[in-house]
Amino acid sequence: MKIAILVSFLAVLITFFSVVQVPITLTSDEVAKAVSEATSASGVSVDEEVLERAVQLSVAKLEEGQRTRLKYLASAYLVIWLVFILYVLYLERQQQELDKRLAQLEQASEGV
Amino acid sequence: MRIIALITALLIFISLYLIFGYARIEGTMLEVQKIFYYHVSAALTVFVAFGVNCVFSIKYLIQRKPNDDLLAVAAAELGIVFCTIALLSGPIWARYAWNTWWNWEARLTSTLVLWLMYIGYFILRSALEGDRRRLYSAVLGIIAYLDVPIVYYAVDIWQGGLHPDRGTKWSLETTMQHTWMVALIALILLFTFLLMVRYRMKKAQARYAAIQQQHLTEASS
Repeated sequence: MKIAILVSFLAVLITFFSVVQVPITLTSDEVAKAVSEATSASGVSVDEEVLERAVQLSVAKLEEGQRTRLKYLASAYLVIWLVFILYVLYLERQQQELDKRLAQLEQASEGV
Repeated sequence: MRIIALITALLIFISLYLIFGYARIEGTMLEVQKIFYYHVSAALTVFVAFGVNCVFSIKYLIQRKPNDDLLAVAAAELGIVFCTIALLSGPIWARYAWNTWWNWEARLTSTLVLWLMYIGYFILRSALEGDRRRLYSAVLGIIAYLDVPIVYYAVDIWQGGLHPDRGTKWSLETTMQHTWMVALIALILLFTFLLMVRYRMKKAQARYAAIQQQHLTEASS
């Protein structure tokens, strides 16, 4: 049972990091290229430098928000699994104690 | 028992996949909303666990079978575990949603009171022995269960709290509804499995205590 809980704990971590949308940082070159493509496609004349800066700031803000939310989500599931693991360890200790007492009792009855 | 363990493990894996890979990201809370699936399921499992404790406490008072007491204790112990999960995962949600770790609103407070009452149940048990322990803890188990409906209906009784209406979880978007149902079934099955494990362990401990008592009596005579 202990192994099952530990494996599931690892599964939580792996599932979390593999499936969840982890923020991808955009480089300034990528932003510049996207802004340039968008402005030339729309045909509107804008100050590309200002637009680039605005887009970079927005992306950074969005990524920061997502990073914060993912931290909350990860903390909650880690806490949940930690409680399960601690309980299973407690059960394991109780079982070990019982086995030890039964062995002592067996020894005592053999002595009699 | 092995079959229950396997189904439980499988459902837990499926629920985790559904939470992180299938359920839609909610519009207001975004990724943080995904805490809901295990937080609410754990809270509902608490009601089941303390319900089992109450039923077997009543059964003990009627029939006075020590095994009913053992089952009631095992259920109470697991109820505390699931209640701890609900109480610890809740503040993480609260910090993001309400900008505070804790708020003395009706549902939070009544849940904390519920947790404290069952902690008291174990303190009482540790202070007593034999039949008195079984009798008094059965009575306390029944009294403590009276807080469960208060927790459940707290949002209706004391309106204006931070928790959403009771009906919110039933009006979720389809992918969220499926995910929540799987998570709920997984946690209830996990509770059932752990209850069986704990009950068997408690029975073995009780049998050991009886044998030891018999040995002591034989030795003294």
